[in-house]
Amino acid sequence: MAGQPPPETGAVRPETVLAIEDLRVTVHDGGATAVRDVSLTVRSGEIVGLVGESGSGKTLTCRAALGVLPRGVAAQGKITFAGEDVTSLSARGWERLHGSHIGAVFQDPASYLNPNLTVGGQVAEVLRVKRGLSRARAHEKAVELLTTVGLRQAGRVFHQIPAELSGGMLQRVMIAIAISCDPELLIADEATTALDVTIQAEIIELVKDLCDQRGLAVLFVSHDLAVIRELCDRVVVFYAGQVVEAGPAAEIIERPRHPYTQALLRVASVGDFRRRELEVIPGQPPHVGDRTTGCRFAARCPSVIEACRAGDIGLTRLGPAHEARCARVDDPAIAEASAAVAAVAPVAANGTRADQELANR
Amino acid sequence: MRRASRVHGGSVLSLPSARIAIVILAAVVFLMIFGSALAPQNPLTINANALFQGPSRAHLLGTDYLGRDVLSRLMAGTRLSVLTAAEAVGIALVLGAPLGVATVFLGRAFDFAANRVADALMTLPSIFFAVAVTAALGNGLVQAMFPVGILMAPLFFRVTRAAALEFARAQYVEAAELLGASKLHVIRVHVARKVLPTIAVTTAQGAAGALLAVSFLTFLGIGVTPPTPTWGGVLSSDLDYLSNAPWAPLIPGALIAITVGALNALADAFRDRAPRGRLAEPGQNVTTQLTPQPLEAADGRPTAA
Amino acid sequence: MTAEVTAATTVSAAPLLEVADIDVVLGHGWRGNHVLSGVNMKVWPGEIVGLVGETGSGKTTLARAVVGLARPRGGRVLFDGTEISRLRGAARRRERRSGHIQLVFQDPLRSLDPDLTVGDIVGEGLKIRGGLPAAEIRARVDDALAKVGLSGTLSHRQPGQISGGQRQRVSIARALAADPKLLLCDEPVSALDASNRNYILRLLAGLRDSLGLPIVIISHDLSSLAGIADRVVVLYRGRIVEDGPVAQVFTRPRHPYTALLMASAPRVERRIGTGEGAALSVHQLRRTTADPESPSAAGACVFAARCPFAADACAVQPALEPVAGQAGERWSAACHRHQEWPDLASARPAAAPR
Repeated sequence: MAGQPPPETGAVRPETVLAIEDLRVTVHDGGATAVRDVSLTVRSGEIVGLVGESGSGKTLTCRAALGVLPRGVAAQGKITFAGEDVTSLSARGWERLHGSHIGAVFQDPASYLNPNLTVGGQVAEVLRVKRGLSRARAHEKAVELLTTVGLRQAGRVFHQIPAELSGGMLQRVMIAIAISCDPELLIADEATTALDVTIQAEIIELVKDLCDQRGLAVLFVSHDLAVIRELCDRVVVFYAGQVVEAGPAAEIIERPRHPYTQALLRVASVGDFRRRELEVIPGQPPHVGDRTTGCRFAARCPSVIEACRAGDIGLTRLGPAHEARCARVDDPAIAEASAAVAAVAPVAANGTRADQELANR
Repeated sequence: MRRASRVHGGSVLSLPSARIAIVILAAVVFLMIFGSALAPQNPLTINANALFQGPSRAHLLGTDYLGRDVLSRLMAGTRLSVLTAAEAVGIALVLGAPLGVATVFLGRAFDFAANRVADALMTLPSIFFAVAVTAALGNGLVQAMFPVGILMAPLFFRVTRAAALEFARAQYVEAAELLGASKLHVIRVHVARKVLPTIAVTTAQGAAGALLAVSFLTFLGIGVTPPTPTWGGVLSSDLDYLSNAPWAPLIPGALIAITVGALNALADAFRDRAPRGRLAEPGQNVTTQLTPQPLEAADGRPTAA
Repeated sequence: MTAEVTAATTVSAAPLLEVADIDVVLGHGWRGNHVLSGVNMKVWPGEIVGLVGETGSGKTTLARAVVGLARPRGGRVLFDGTEISRLRGAARRRERRSGHIQLVFQDPLRSLDPDLTVGDIVGEGLKIRGGLPAAEIRARVDDALAKVGLSGTLSHRQPGQISGGQRQRVSIARALAADPKLLLCDEPVSALDASNRNYILRLLAGLRDSLGLPIVIISHDLSSLAGIADRVVVLYRGRIVEDGPVAQVFTRPRHPYTALLMASAPRVERRIGTGEGAALSVHQLRRTTADPESPSAAGACVFAARCPFAADACAVQPALEPVAGQAGERWSAACHRHQEWPDLASARPAAAPR
């Protein structure tokens, strides 16, 4: 299990809202394993980011935590929500949890909203159904929620239909719906992926604020490491259905110990007009159902050695909260590679004209 | 230009209803071709001694009011009924479908005019016109089905126009236009094959309607000179003698109903098995989900970095 | 043949594409939406221009106006000195068949005919042009696929059978097969993850370097283009607010919206500390309720309502004017206060009040 740091003396240990232990998800009616040996926890007030390429298993893990796995897909292992074992929860049990205890936001808000009803009405409906509020009270609370998520003139927005609102505004409405019944956990799956960069920044801040104000636990899934870095306290890196590295965000970003995380950082560090060098990760991840012995990243790893393919690699604990799945994790060469990833270096190098201009401003 | 391997996504044959329908229709077509030759008795032979007999060894479906073998009459009558129904559908298809596609590309004025003509035609009752044509041109089923076909054409026009409209707005058509494609190229390469499922559905439905029209006309005696057997004619003559032989009209009636039902089932099967997005529904968008995907060769080979 | 390409910052070369005073209005009468207003833009040979703006800024419409898919109400588009905006019918088709300007659409799922094979799709332009034997077309299709790093064996697949990144590359290959003089790419990487994004951007940069092909890349994220663009043009609500060389714009943007775009982009790197020489944070560039009311009359600067630095002068829409840069560099911005706002921004609190 991804380690929890020892409690600070005198501090109350934050409550573990979601605990996933040894999750294994099979697809195609058991024909292939898409997720294996995944363990992670989310505590209240904590934002945990799941990052990885498409198909890495992060979305399936999310869906298992929500109890919304599609047909032919089954989960084994143990999933605990607020102390309650939900691994084999019935549909009715999940219905009780959805909305009231777990809220969710996905990528394309327009497809989750009824195009013919007002957005405010849809927020109010959740309140009436889940909380039994009266129509008037639900309306009031809905306007409050719309304001909380940053929609100005919420009273007016209440009466608009989805077609009249931008993608960013719709996503805020979805967040309003997700938090309307004060859930303990918010799950966001690629919630900012389709948004403009300015709106994305605002939504990231909104999630952070909601987390601080309400002690919300957040599970945030994204393929974009930069977004994860801006938002999350802890990061879990997925590759080919497994967790390959997990730890505090600052540590993972500044000192990644797994070659895949290092590769992710190299490609994410774009946007420097001086560098003009765009990194890629050569090759592609293994297909679900490919049976390889040994490390599943071996085919694409720049630091691969014989031992990597010998047998399955386990997670090595690197610190109280940091672990990585690499045969060479203690190898100094890997540590060097980690330092070489320029993510750590402050963007201002010395001597270039641009930097002097910056300094002179 | 390599053609797409299937018009329909997933085989129509995978639906049990379609399989049954095709078997029935194949039997009908078989009867159409070989019916006269295979009829056990001469359909025209009158036998005064064997009036209104029930089903027996000699007459599997019994005899009618003139002692003629019902089974033989039905088998022989298949050709006329089915062929003329096909004539009507064929006329409707040939007139309506290409115009429906063309109108999308020929500009607003043409489209407006074509639509008004279609509107006008659709208000006219086809059976009455069939009667009027036979009155004018002589009593022939072929002549009678001609106006039925023309008046069915607006259906094909409307339906293919709706389908073509949807595809003409697709972004890949814009892309082709950006390459300098002429309208003909766009129709030939991009639109034509995509409207085929819609045409298939409409043809099956139209055939069902045409067969009903034929049956109705021949029931009324329009277009056929007795004693030429047709399904509707047999039904009509048997109906006159309902009290004597109550089972009699059931048989041609059932034949018509089963064939029409099979055609409709086939139409449904075409619709169910049409590739997603091929049947134009208003406002339908091909998916635009922007989910990130890794670069990969579909056969698993790593691509150059 | 490798063309020697230098960043086209000298004034002497003639622009290959000139967009002059383009107005595009969608809808009629008083309800018409001015998607583009008075847009002026030039593209020189051999450069990559990043055309950046949010959803609704008009960036896609601008690309469509250039290739004739959107009819401008006013203004002209000139290619290599010849006006192409007024072409219609057969003349327009002829111009398009020449393949001079090619547009790569944003969503390859929609812009590639799902019933055709990759080979047919990439070769369609050549077939339309006519006059080429099938073997020659085949060869050029393979060549275009090779340019985007795809094997010729993909020719027999249909778009639904290849991955999203490959579809994007097929879309680019189709444009390349027409041997264009100018390439417009509408959000080519927005739907891709970082590795694929970099791959495509590298590919486009490679085309610029090896073929001298000028490319306009449309994006909503300014920072993602920093690695390959020579010049950036920033669009806001149908108007160009900044247009300048990438190094200058990234170091010291002249328009607050440009700065906001850059500050909004999430980064894995730590920002350059705080204090003197620090990069601005989004909080310093966004309006708060504490800011004075911006001029809002019609005719005011389009960005005024969102701008924390709007003053009385901003009641008049600023024109796009040259701003001081290195000698010979083309850099302009549409901001009355382009000299003062950076200091005002630095003085604002860098973090939101908690």
